[in-house]
Amino acid sequence: MGQGITDSVFHIEGVSIAAEQIFVKEQAGMKQTNVDSLVMQNKASLSLSDLLSENTSVFIKNHGRGALATASFRGTSPSHTQVSWNGININSPMAGMVDFSLIPVYIIDELNLKYGSASLADRSGGIGGSININNRADWNEKNSIEYMQGIGSYSTFDEFLQVGVGSKKIQSKTRLYHNYSENDYTFINRGIAIIDPVSGAITNPIDTNDHAAYLRYGLLQEIYYRPTSNHLLSLKYWGQYADRTIPKPTSYEGPDNSNLNSQEDRDHRLVADWKFYGNFGKLMLRSGYADKRLDYNQMNQVPGLGLIPAIWSESRQKSLYNTLYYSGALDGDLSWEGNIDLNYHQVGSADSVSGAGYEGQRNEFSMMFAVRKSFRDRLNLNLMLRQEWVDGFRVPFIPYFGMDIRLIEGVDLLLKGNIARNYHLPTLNDLYWQPGGNPDLLPEEGFTVEGGIAYQQEFSGHLMETELSLYRSQIDNWIIWIPSYRGFWEPRNIRRVLSKGVEYNIQLKGFISEFNYRLSATYGYTSAVNEGDPLIWSDESYGKQLVYIPLHSGNMMAHLGWGNLFFTYQFNAYSERYTTSSNDVSRRDRLYPYFMNDISAGSTFRLKRVDLSLELKVYNLLNEPYHTILYRPMPGRNYQLVFKIHI
Amino acid sequence: MLIRKLIYIGLPLLLSLTGCMEDDQLWEFERPVYDLPYSGIFVINEGNFMYGNASLTYYDPETRQVIDDVFFQTNALPLGDVAHSMTIRDSLGYVVVNNSGRIYIFNTSTFEVKGKITGLTSPRYMHFISGTKAYVTDLYARSIAVVNPQTMEVTGAISVSNSNSESYQHATEQMLQYDRFVYTNCWSFDNQVLVIDSELDRVVDSIQVLKQPNSMVLDRYHSVWVLCDGGTEGSPYGNEAAGLLKIGAGSREAQIVHRFSLGESPRDLKINGTGDTLFYINGDVYRYAVNAYADPELLVESPYKGNMWTGFYGLEVDPYSSEIYVADAIDFVQRGMVYRYTPEGVPVDIFRTGIAPGGFCFNF
Repeated sequence: MGQGITDSVFHIEGVSIAAEQIFVKEQAGMKQTNVDSLVMQNKASLSLSDLLSENTSVFIKNHGRGALATASFRGTSPSHTQVSWNGININSPMAGMVDFSLIPVYIIDELNLKYGSASLADRSGGIGGSININNRADWNEKNSIEYMQGIGSYSTFDEFLQVGVGSKKIQSKTRLYHNYSENDYTFINRGIAIIDPVSGAITNPIDTNDHAAYLRYGLLQEIYYRPTSNHLLSLKYWGQYADRTIPKPTSYEGPDNSNLNSQEDRDHRLVADWKFYGNFGKLMLRSGYADKRLDYNQMNQVPGLGLIPAIWSESRQKSLYNTLYYSGALDGDLSWEGNIDLNYHQVGSADSVSGAGYEGQRNEFSMMFAVRKSFRDRLNLNLMLRQEWVDGFRVPFIPYFGMDIRLIEGVDLLLKGNIARNYHLPTLNDLYWQPGGNPDLLPEEGFTVEGGIAYQQEFSGHLMETELSLYRSQIDNWIIWIPSYRGFWEPRNIRRVLSKGVEYNIQLKGFISEFNYRLSATYGYTSAVNEGDPLIWSDESYGKQLVYIPLHSGNMMAHLGWGNLFFTYQFNAYSERYTTSSNDVSRRDRLYPYFMNDISAGSTFRLKRVDLSLELKVYNLLNEPYHTILYRPMPGRNYQLVFKIHI
Repeated sequence: MLIRKLIYIGLPLLLSLTGCMEDDQLWEFERPVYDLPYSGIFVINEGNFMYGNASLTYYDPETRQVIDDVFFQTNALPLGDVAHSMTIRDSLGYVVVNNSGRIYIFNTSTFEVKGKITGLTSPRYMHFISGTKAYVTDLYARSIAVVNPQTMEVTGAISVSNSNSESYQHATEQMLQYDRFVYTNCWSFDNQVLVIDSELDRVVDSIQVLKQPNSMVLDRYHSVWVLCDGGTEGSPYGNEAAGLLKIGAGSREAQIVHRFSLGESPRDLKINGTGDTLFYINGDVYRYAVNAYADPELLVESPYKGNMWTGFYGLEVDPYSSEIYVADAIDFVQRGMVYRYTPEGVPVDIFRTGIAPGGFCFNF
């Protein structure tokens, strides 16, 4: 729960260089990063999927511009990344994962990533890690209005409005947003041939990305109340509607009015909490509610009948969350923390064409206790113990032990490490989906060891932060869906995955004469290998890298500010991804290494009491044709102009 | 000036960081030229839904030569999304690519693409009535497309829409012809075999079978055999024990010949070239003599243990040698395998295919 405390600040012309305290016993052994506020500002008009893939070591599998984007943290499945919004888990209880294309960066004040077992500080199930989205009151804020308008290629329009009112006791912030894109870029369609009837020569048409428009709008309302200095109450609501048409396969040559797919997502999330800071420590009570509706349909033109649905699937997911949290400390060297969570999920899914569907529910009860001890500012120990019950079934005990060693007195050079067990429960779809759901599934079981070195150093207006981590995670009973003898797909606990890797990140920021700069880079080596028993002698998936997980990934961002002007360069790369479990590569199905360059430049200026800024962003700077999903070409060079006004 | 320096240093640095993605290179390669003898077997590899990685593998039973991915290698053109079935007529192969809504036409000796039939909603199988007329069944169109293979155009449609039903009926699948009547099985949430008069291009009758007829063959006595999987447990359409049914020559009624245990899901009913022995997959491969009235006989045991896996995914019988070819899709996300057996189930050969091999087409 503890966030870093700012212990020294340089402040020049609105840009602050702050070193966070990294030797914190409550975080001993844990690897976590908070995404830089500058990055958040730079990506404010985008989706969280864009930010994660470009600025963190989380790999995003993106199904197209504006389309489904799922995360893989340290080579794990999308459901192994636990995502929270203001403390409540927002993973779908049905599918287990989160579509990061549906989360606008604009609604985030703080973005925290916990790698691997560090996520156990908040909840179980994050075998890969956790992504925590938080909103926070700014008690210095009085009244403010901010409006941001983005205009981009392919008829893309983004509107964002923020209104804040408040005092030292009460704060309210309202954010409204509306994003729309026709998304009608053109591409060379390799999936379709124009065959010359005489010569037989084949050419590929230039096609438009039809049926790919997306719309998303929503509201985030926060209210904070601080009656006295030791009470804090807050209420937050986030509602969103998204409507997307899902493009047909690019090779589709059927009638125009057929194979039309669309998806609507309606979300309501509400969370209320009360924090009390007393002599005995900190007490917190939190309740939350999440309601998700997801409708998916496929329509076809039938002569004489019109557009007829072939699939009309509606699902509804409701979740209730309750947390009681307590933390206390004895002098500065010993602290403890206790946590009780009681969650309830109820879901239903039905396809009105086939009549198939299911209803399911789940009760989760979890207790966590942690104790942390610091020894002479040189050694921190962190023990976290967790016990959970699901529908009365006792999940095996989940322990975590971590430590930090300060290698040289007074220097932020730390040796870190942890060892932990973790469990991920089957999702409700895994258990009950019709047909195929398997109620006998066991939880996926992770055992992780990791270690690393963190170092930070300030030197006359510059700050360097860097961390190197190595991890080894073995996941047993890994669930995959595979066709069964009974003629449909069924989930089974058959895989064993060994995920080993290296993560390195570095951030440099500071000033050189009249310039301020910020450089950050990450590199990840992720070996996520299937070690489950082969299905049959001819099964070549044993010992092979999991599909869609790149062995190497990295990114870099450089930001330069000079007076009112700023410039940002973003680079992002992945090595080849496989689409077959046997890692066979063919020319036809190749996801070649990915290299992406984006730049943006802008200016901020002040007119009387109004702050204005204008920024031009250029994506896919080199105008490269590419795909990251088979036969789903992505857009070439494209532009976005962002105008912002703040009163 | 510092800014100028930065541009001088920064810009080349920026450009040097950029790798070039290899999209164009994927499509520029030397294409092999083939001119093969007329006999061979095509394996139809479905590929994965929405991946566009369907393919054709060519196998010569004489030389045991395997040519991978012949359509793409020859034409630098991916087959498309989910190849479902293939028919050969007059040295031309017609591959039905389900989720690409088209049929590719290619020369079966050189593998060169000759054309395509487009405008099909969700095509499944193609059946020739004559050189200028063929039917294409469809999962979602609620009609069977009438096409002219010579002009490569859709010329009409035979409505199979069942307006009385809540379900999406009818979804048509395989076709076979006796006299001028074409029989087609309606598998998805259905229990009908429709009878179409190929002169009138109209549904003239329907025959009720068991739930979910998935495959059909015509025997030497002109009886139609229908294999029904019985649906799946928990399905809103309901389920029942699977069965093998027979529709006597010219008859419009089906009789149950063999009933499976509840929970078994047999598939891929095939027949040998002499039209007297049936084969199907029920986890393992079974054989059944059409006039024996005995129990089906286990012929080839699946290497998969228990009943957990699909195991065998596709089956075909050589119309001349009666050798048996069984396709194994393994985990469906790697290259599959084909096993070749003698008519008595003795292993002869094995070879790798593309992803999710589901069907065969004999070019004899």
